[in-house]
Amino acid sequence: MKTIGRTDLPPEQQQALRSAIRWEWFTIAYTIVTIVLIALVLGGSQAMRTAWIEDILSLLPQISFLVALLFIRHRPTGAFPYGLHRAMGIGHLVAGVALLAVGGSLAFEAISLLLRAEHPAIGTVHVFGQTVWLGWFMVAVMAVTAIGPFFYGHAKSKLAPKLHNKVLYADADMAKADWTTTLASIVGVLGVGVGWWWLDGVAALFISLGIMWDGWRNSRGAVLDLIDQRARTHDDKSVHPLAGEVLDLLAALPWVEDASVRMRDMGQVFHIEAFVVPRRGKVSVERLEDAHERIVRLDWKVQDVQVIPVRELPDEAEI
Amino acid sequence: MLVAAAVLSGCGTRIPADPDGTLDRVTHGTLRVGASPSGTLVVVDDGRVRGPLVELIEGFAAERDANLEWTVDSEEDLVDDLEGGRLDLAIGGMTDKTPWADRVSVTRGYPDVPGSGDASVVVLLPMGENALQAALETYLDEELSR
Repeated sequence: MKTIGRTDLPPEQQQALRSAIRWEWFTIAYTIVTIVLIALVLGGSQAMRTAWIEDILSLLPQISFLVALLFIRHRPTGAFPYGLHRAMGIGHLVAGVALLAVGGSLAFEAISLLLRAEHPAIGTVHVFGQTVWLGWFMVAVMAVTAIGPFFYGHAKSKLAPKLHNKVLYADADMAKADWTTTLASIVGVLGVGVGWWWLDGVAALFISLGIMWDGWRNSRGAVLDLIDQRARTHDDKSVHPLAGEVLDLLAALPWVEDASVRMRDMGQVFHIEAFVVPRRGKVSVERLEDAHERIVRLDWKVQDVQVIPVRELPDEAEI
Repeated sequence: MLVAAAVLSGCGTRIPADPDGTLDRVTHGTLRVGASPSGTLVVVDDGRVRGPLVELIEGFAAERDANLEWTVDSEEDLVDDLEGGRLDLAIGGMTDKTPWADRVSVTRGYPDVPGSGDASVVVLLPMGENALQAALETYLDEELSR
């Protein structure tokens, strides 16, 4: 995949994207194996059930990333003049809302179990002539399945900034926090083991609040980009520095008296409107095209740029 | 996991344990069992219960050095008694498809109980009394694999 929308990807990004796609497929395969493994030992523990559903939900970011890629690679057309970049944001939003809704219902379930003081039942299994408490298998399975997210979480969090992909970043972030779920479910099961039945419900509540928190962060980030907030970095922590770079570039041009920028995140790539006030109110088409060229060369993400000569800068643009 | 198991058993804690301590109370004490008549599996004659499933429970009680106290009633009343803490176990024609599973704990299904036909027989017990359940399942595994 060499292009997304009108954007030609530089070799580093092509490489990162190929790698991201491979990691996403690997994650899906790995997660399906863990879902099956956990299903085999799923007893009466609410914490295990919640961790299991979290595992199923954790497929959403990967699926929405891969599906969105099918859309955003298309070049802009007459019908979709800005390309289909928003598909990534929509996938992000769908994943976020699903996490929020299911997390909420699991939290409600955990609280009502605690209020009803229902004691979780975990029986035994008969393997190789031995009767073994199922809880030990739960602990073992959870401990084993915790290994994967550690690796793919870190791999993806290295790729996300290169690609400026927020879905990938959120996915990596959730994978890196996955060990808390594992630990909580193990604590819940061992709690049941020593007779502290309430620890299972508390662990389930903890895990479901984590799911809700992921859902809230993802939905919020996706909505803010879909309603065109000023472009921010892949982790939403700060304003993206590219806007400042564009401004500096324009300000350094001798024919530019004043400049400002509106930059929005289309999902992976930016759309930039650069307003310039030319000295003595005059500018040639050559100079505008030259400014456009220079901005495009700044970064692969900014190939959709308009340089607009104005008498006065618009109020809301970044100066 | 082995370390955790070693540490926890070193502290004298049995895993799994009963939140309400049923297994400890029953051992050298009284095991209160509810029975609901079912075919040849659980037969009630003049208030006396007998049948292959009854014999298994008698064996389990003997292993725990427990006296048996029988209550004969309908399945639903037995489930009520389990929930209310008036019974420790309940037997009858319940199988691993039993709809009572959301109100009481259900053991694994045992298809080899004589007289059960093709069904996987289960024993009901109070929700979450996991030590009791583990002890009973261990006993039934040993008895029925002979």
